Amino acid sequence: MGKRIVIDPMTRIEGHLKIEVEVENGKVKDAWSSGTMARGFEALLRGKDPRDAPYVTSRICGVCYSVHQLTSARALDDAFGAKVPWGGTLLRNLAMGAQYIYDHVLHFYQLSALDYLDIMAVAKYKGRDKDLLAVKDKIVGLVKAKDTFPLTPRYKPDAFCVKDPDIVISAVKHYIDALSMHAKARNMGAIFGGRTPHYQSIVVGGFTQYPDINMVARFRTMLDEQAKFINEVYIPDVLAFGTGPLFPLAKIGLGGGHYNYLAYGALEKDPAGKDLVFPAGAIMGLDPKAIRVQRFDQKKITESVKYAWYNQDKPQHPYNGKQEFDLDQRDAYSFVKAPRYNGKPMEVGPLARMLIAKNPTLIGLVKQGVKPGAVARHAARAIETKLVMDACYKWCDDLLSAMTKPGFKIHDTAHWDPPQKGMGAGFYEAPRGALGHWVKIKNKKIDNYQCVVPSTWNASPRDEQNVRGQYEESLIGVPVPDPDNPLNVVRVIRSFDPCLACAIHLIHPKTNEIRKFTVQ
Amino acid sequence: MTKLNTTDTPTPDNQKKTTVLGVGNLLLSDEGVGVHVVKRLMGMALPPEVEVIDGGVSGLGLMNIVARADHLIVIDAVRAGGPPGSIYRFGSEDLTAHPDTYKMSVHEIGILEVLNLSRFVGQTPKTTIIGVEPKSMEMGMDLSPEIQAKVPRVIELILDELRHSN
Repeated sequence: MGKRIVIDPMTRIEGHLKIEVEVENGKVKDAWSSGTMARGFEALLRGKDPRDAPYVTSRICGVCYSVHQLTSARALDDAFGAKVPWGGTLLRNLAMGAQYIYDHVLHFYQLSALDYLDIMAVAKYKGRDKDLLAVKDKIVGLVKAKDTFPLTPRYKPDAFCVKDPDIVISAVKHYIDALSMHAKARNMGAIFGGRTPHYQSIVVGGFTQYPDINMVARFRTMLDEQAKFINEVYIPDVLAFGTGPLFPLAKIGLGGGHYNYLAYGALEKDPAGKDLVFPAGAIMGLDPKAIRVQRFDQKKITESVKYAWYNQDKPQHPYNGKQEFDLDQRDAYSFVKAPRYNGKPMEVGPLARMLIAKNPTLIGLVKQGVKPGAVARHAARAIETKLVMDACYKWCDDLLSAMTKPGFKIHDTAHWDPPQKGMGAGFYEAPRGALGHWVKIKNKKIDNYQCVVPSTWNASPRDEQNVRGQYEESLIGVPVPDPDNPLNVVRVIRSFDPCLACAIHLIHPKTNEIRKFTVQ
Repeated sequence: MTKLNTTDTPTPDNQKKTTVLGVGNLLLSDEGVGVHVVKRLMGMALPPEVEVIDGGVSGLGLMNIVARADHLIVIDAVRAGGPPGSIYRFGSEDLTAHPDTYKMSVHEIGILEVLNLSRFVGQTPKTTIIGVEPKSMEMGMDLSPEIQAKVPRVIELILDELRHSN
């Protein structure tokens, strides 16, 4: 029996994920991924007007709110029989495009980069760049004042951490710049979203707010600034790290997993919706030399609960799934169900999307020896950020041209009222991966509602066949030379951009000291 | 040092801006008290330099909002062990900035961390937090009656704060 290491919580605010690994001879031998918090917000929707669902579901998660709203609207589009006009689709795409940009850049710099840097190396910077010297002064000053949030406390740097002072200091500078870019991209999303956070303009049938030329011009100006950062900082950083200091991790394919990939598809490039920025499809058992993509068929999705605290006797399609908890379920270790596609565990997210799209840049990296795994996930995320950014320019042009045509529409008003009875499915690609919403309507009210979120696919527990979920499988064999510092485990899981949508924001002071501030 | 610049258009009059930011999850009953309060505030007549924001469950997504404020008033559920409905008023400096859990989870970010990050990049609004001790955190979209009854008092405190701010 190897040594057990528990990492809990893996993420703090965005949810409750516990990773447990068994380490033997310096490597992970077995792994368990648990969602430690009961979900089931869907129950809140039963009996409500279906048109409330996009707003309610946008409150599930503090990160993916707009994409829940959109996916919910798409499930309603399907159930109501609404046909979103091209103008509505373009506006939805631009609102989502902003989310992709702010999410992916944030993930690389704020949520991951520090796992790969020896921050203290900045003190050894000998160069003369004024901006970088200011960064050095700042960090050294914070260390002296013992006030180094958000850079520490953290894991001890290991052999794979970048220690070259020049690289580290410029990465820290980019970390700071990325925060500012993130804040601006949020403002960009609000132009069409109506507000941020929690967009309000996405509804069944299309969009609520007509654009004017000034809005498009503002969006474009802000997009220019994001594009400069993405092209000149983000992508070069990811490529330089992936093919440079992190190449040893890339070469061993750290965090590969099952090599099954799934994408539902999203972001239409033409009014017919045939050409997508992210094509739908499935890859079973990747062969990087000859990638075979199967057609996506939603009927192949089931959710198993053998190892999850739910009351259900056999795997069910999400239309029929229920959220009834059973805490006495024998063998259960997670509140996350185990979704399967054609009975198999799948990876969803940027790497899945770029492999399914057979993206030439990613395939080029794979040929250079970057095996599908943690490092390739970061690369795929950067590559698709550029694809979305380029598409945003095209959508701005398309929108300007559509706006000037007579009969410009952004909403299918004829299908605004809920049907007496119906069912619908909404499929989309959240930044973290394939997102699905399923709705059943009875007497014009919601009868059943289910969301299968991206992290449910990736963080899934074992299934009926005892086959591990993708996080679990991706940890097998991962080197953990020091059990007190399981940095590689953290790197692998964070490369997926984990998010178990629960988002509790309660301020919880460490002591009861706060009571002295009671107001009467 | 790089200053965080999030304005996409220059403010013409350079007026000091006060932001009232309600945060919390509307789907978990009293956890959403901050959002319930600001929703009510949005229907009231306030000075033009006051911005009222429903921050919902967003974390780092609030960076743009925090960074453009001169004075920030955060309304949130606060669990400090008092009886449900207790109202607290304090500054961000009164809270433990980084709990021990950070060792294992350095990255995910909530409102306190956003305030810290904002300070890290050299932009620190004067911050007041008005907290309400929740009764129920169960799934549900309404406040408990006890907490609902405190909403007018919280609004009074915000208006007081705004008066002092000018």
